[in-house]
Amino acid sequence: MNREVTLRQTAFMYLFISLSPILRQIPNAVASEAGRSGYLSPLWSLVPIFLLTAILIAVIKTFPGLNIYEIMVQLIGKFFAKLIIFLYLLWILLSIVSKINIYALTIQFTLMPQTRSNYFMIILILLVYFALNRGAKTVFRFSEFTLGPILFLFAVLFLCALTRLRTDYLLPVSTINIPSTIFASKDVIAVGGNIIVILFFADKFGITITKSQIRKLWGGVLVFVILSFVITIFTFGITGADFTASASFPFYMTVKSISFFNIFERFEVLVTLFCVLSDFIAICIMAFLVLRCFEWIFNLKQGKIIAVPLTVLIFYLTYYISSTQFEFNFLYRTIIVNVNLIFQYVIPALLGFLCLIKRKKIQKQF
Amino acid sequence: MIYVFAVTLIYTFVKKKEELLEEKRNLVLFMLLSVIGISLGIIYMINPYLPSLTLMLEKYMK
Repeated sequence: MNREVTLRQTAFMYLFISLSPILRQIPNAVASEAGRSGYLSPLWSLVPIFLLTAILIAVIKTFPGLNIYEIMVQLIGKFFAKLIIFLYLLWILLSIVSKINIYALTIQFTLMPQTRSNYFMIILILLVYFALNRGAKTVFRFSEFTLGPILFLFAVLFLCALTRLRTDYLLPVSTINIPSTIFASKDVIAVGGNIIVILFFADKFGITITKSQIRKLWGGVLVFVILSFVITIFTFGITGADFTASASFPFYMTVKSISFFNIFERFEVLVTLFCVLSDFIAICIMAFLVLRCFEWIFNLKQGKIIAVPLTVLIFYLTYYISSTQFEFNFLYRTIIVNVNLIFQYVIPALLGFLCLIKRKKIQKQF
Repeated sequence: MIYVFAVTLIYTFVKKKEELLEEKRNLVLFMLLSVIGISLGIIYMINPYLPSLTLMLEKYMK
């Protein structure tokens, strides 16, 4: 069957958009919250992320061929569905604006400190415009093809870094540290919750979802947890928890010290490239979601007609949300992480609960 | 940049006039978003050093 987007592609896209927060935010956040034992936090996050994935799969199976808006209309009625979608719209707007901000800050911090952020943002907007003109499938395909080589390069990078890993930076860890590592796992959970995006594309998967596609989704979630654990352990093991907690982009600093048998070095440029690519795909997906939310709320036939005014709005909002790395760090830790938890876990859990209550009634319809 | 955006908005309006005028809702939404975006741009042009929302939140929360 020729589907617009498959669940497998969504799993790849989920991993791809999670890549930049895994490299940039997670090591720093868990080090600040849990100190030396923070590298254990990604392991705890496995439980809530797996639970969320199970809920999402159950919801998609109960309402085959429907997206999040249509599912909500079935469960809570049109008015409340639109209200929740409006809240989702605000959340995605906040996420897209902060993503553009950190994208510009990352390039400024790593490669071009003398260039103004406007320049990066304009280039990004043009790229997003061209990517979205080709349709969502192009964006999904891009992440599908690029993720493999990126993971391979990471594997090579980790092999090169194995000798530099210091166990005294990682051990000893005692049971006293368990509560703080569990609390710090919320930073990983807030990134892993990106899997919620599949509900927005659920109408494009078709009526039937094969078991192999569901397995791919579970695999994607598992790879996310493993990748965040490995990256955190390497950042902690090479640069130490104290430095990881204080640096804005600790993994970049970690990679600076890695060389391939003392022949090749300066792999940090690759890290910047991966982050930029991941941000680009995340912004494309979010832009697509914003347009979809507008279509659902205002019953628009084509969301594309408001793309240009929306771009202007998002471009200037970026300046008003945050302007420096310190401001972004505060915004991310105090606002974005907590808001993410509500929109990625609380609302889908409520949807799952309603699904469970109304199961018999729903089964008669589908 | 605001001039570029203003010209792009006018160009888009002219190009998609039929679709926008087809339904009142489309036109209202297009105008509303354009006005908000351009207003934000004008405010930024007048004073580019306005404190960001995060900075205000940070001050309020401390």
